[in-house]
Order: sequence, then C-alpha cells, then structure tokens
Amino acid sequence: MSDHDFHPRVKQLLDGDLTLADLPPELRAEGEEALRLLAAVDRRPVAFPTMTERVMLAVNTRPSPAGWRRMLEPREIRLRIRPWVLAPALALAAALIIWIAGPRTAAPAPSLVTVRFVLVAPEAKAVSLAGTFNQWDARATPLVRTGPNGTWTATLTLPAGQHQYAFVVDGVRWVPDPGAPAVDDGFGRRNSVLTL
Amino acid sequence: MRPETQQTDADIVRAVLAGDHERYAVLVERYRDRYARYAARMLGSLDAAEDAVQDAFVRAFDQLAQCKEPDKFVGWFFLILRNRCYAERRRSKAQAPLEAADSLPAVDRTDGGAETAERRRALQHALLELTPDQREVFVLKHVEGLSYGQIAERLNTSVPSLKMRMHRAYDRLREQLREHK
Repeated sequence: MSDHDFHPRVKQLLDGDLTLADLPPELRAEGEEALRLLAAVDRRPVAFPTMTERVMLAVNTRPSPAGWRRMLEPREIRLRIRPWVLAPALALAAALIIWIAGPRTAAPAPSLVTVRFVLVAPEAKAVSLAGTFNQWDARATPLVRTGPNGTWTATLTLPAGQHQYAFVVDGVRWVPDPGAPAVDDGFGRRNSVLTL
Repeated sequence: MRPETQQTDADIVRAVLAGDHERYAVLVERYRDRYARYAARMLGSLDAAEDAVQDAFVRAFDQLAQCKEPDKFVGWFFLILRNRCYAERRRSKAQAPLEAADSLPAVDRTDGGAETAERRRALQHALLELTPDQREVFVLKHVEGLSYGQIAERLNTSVPSLKMRMHRAYDRLREQLREHK
C-alpha cells in the first residue's frame, strides 16, 4: 500500500457505504479529502441536439438492416477451401483467409463456417480483429503470433452471411485486409467484407 | 398505433427491421442524451463523444437484426457505444495524448465559478490517466449514479471485481490529483 492509497474505510466512504461521522478521528482528514474528490465530479448533463438529424442522414444512405438479417438466415454451406494470398501493404507483408470447414454440426440455423484469419505483420506487437461479429470490439478477438516471421492467426466460427471487419495492429491502427473487398464505413475508414 | 412516447423499444426495432427506417429516430431521440455524458466523460472531449455516439447509433442501425432481444435495445446499444469509446480512446491517446480534457467546458459561471471549474478539470485530467476499465466504473457509479449491482448487470461482471477496480481507481485518482497540485 503506497502513501497515495486511501484507507479501506475511506474507500467505503467513497462507495457510499459509510458517512464521514462513521470514520474514526484519525481518518477524518483523509475522508474530507475523499469527499472533495467526489465533489469535483462533473455531473452536468451533456446534450447533442443535432444528433438525431445527423444519425438519420447517415442511416438513410445505408442498406436496410433487414438485409443483414436475410443474409444471416440459415442456408446450406458447402465445404470450401479458398486461400487468398495477398499483396504486401505497408508493414503488413500479406494477409489471407482460409475457409477451414463448412457447417460444423447438423444443428439448425444459422449455418456456421470456420474461417482462419492470417496476417503477416512482422513489426506488430499485437494484432486483433474487430468486426460486425464481435461488435467492433478491438479487444475481443486477438490474433496469436504463430511463427517467427510475424504471422498472426485467429480461427473463428462465424454464421454464414456477410461480415465486415478490420485488423487492429498494436491497438491503434485499424487496417483493412489488403486483399479482401472493402467498403467505406461512412466515417472515413474502410472495412473489409467477408461473405461466407 | 400507439403514440411514439408509448412505443416500446421492441416495437420500434421491429418496425425499423420491417422497413420503417424513419422510426429509428425515436430511439435516437430517446437515448442520445442519456449516453452523451457517459461518452463525454469516458473520452474527455465533447467532439469525440459526439462522433462516438453518432457512430454507435449508425452501427446499431446496421446491426439491428442482430439485436436478439429488441426489448433490451438500450443495453445492447450501450455495449456498442462502450466499444467505440474504448477504441476511440486508444486511438486518440496514441495520436494526441492528454489534450482531450481541455476541450470539455470546464467553466460554468452559474455553477461554482473558477475554483469549481479548476477542480473539475483536474479530476477529468486524472480520470483520463486511469485505465479504461477503471475510468468506466468510476463514470458509471459517480457520474451516472448507478449502483455496483446495476453496473455489474450492465457489464456482465461481478460486484467484487468492480469494487476492486474502483478502489484502485480511487488510489490512482488521489495520486494524480496530488501531483496536479
């Protein structure tokens, strides 16, 4: 415990489980410091009055979300193996996607396809995938470095249909797959498109 | 048809998926300000927060068919916004560290004057030094006023782990604020 750490009882005060009067005299000053911290919390409302118009403007230029639903409806998927060997791009030597297997089980909808994402990025410290399949969470799907030449891979089982994604290199660089088709995401970035 | 104010989120989600895109504006109107403050405090910048909220609404529209429980649209939307805020913060930190808090309106002359504004600014700077997980639990509890139980439900985690995160945040904030003096 460093000298910056609040006493556990003072943390209870900050949590609202105790009042200042509950603290022993020797902790009162620390308790008052803690309450000054909370008093500085900015709880003023924030409003974006033109948000609705801006969102609707963007939404009205996009395809119907019901279209995505149709693509995710169950359909038969054949076993396919289709490696893509991709051209170099920046520090990324190549990327490829391999359909590993078709439907994993005979279970009903949606049909699932196992896909391996491969990115060769020798300089990267970390690579992950963000896409429609993980709510664009750049932390949800890390790739694993699988070889000495900077090859990063992740294997996912995804519903048949169309997915958009990007590689996230070192947590900050959003890089579309240089060999996959891409679409403008409407915010100045390109998303790669994968159709299974 | 029920008036817009009485329509449930699920009613609206189904209508949008059935092709009535204009109804999506009701959802945006209903939730835009509720989450504006969360985004602003998480990102430390009104401009970045506005972009993140707008982006999250557009992404939620694109992925609306994947909202498995339309009556829980708002919780689902929150997770999309949360992920955008995390990604945006990582990006902005790499590009422009520590500029963000200055773009929040710190001075509000009707609300305590310069001293209050300075304390708020110092705390917002300190918040930006926390890890995103620590900052989030602090914002949800002390800015949005949620209980640990409500936060745990929203983030699908446990109260003890949230408390541990928060208690580290308190210590870190104290350290940052002392250094700021």
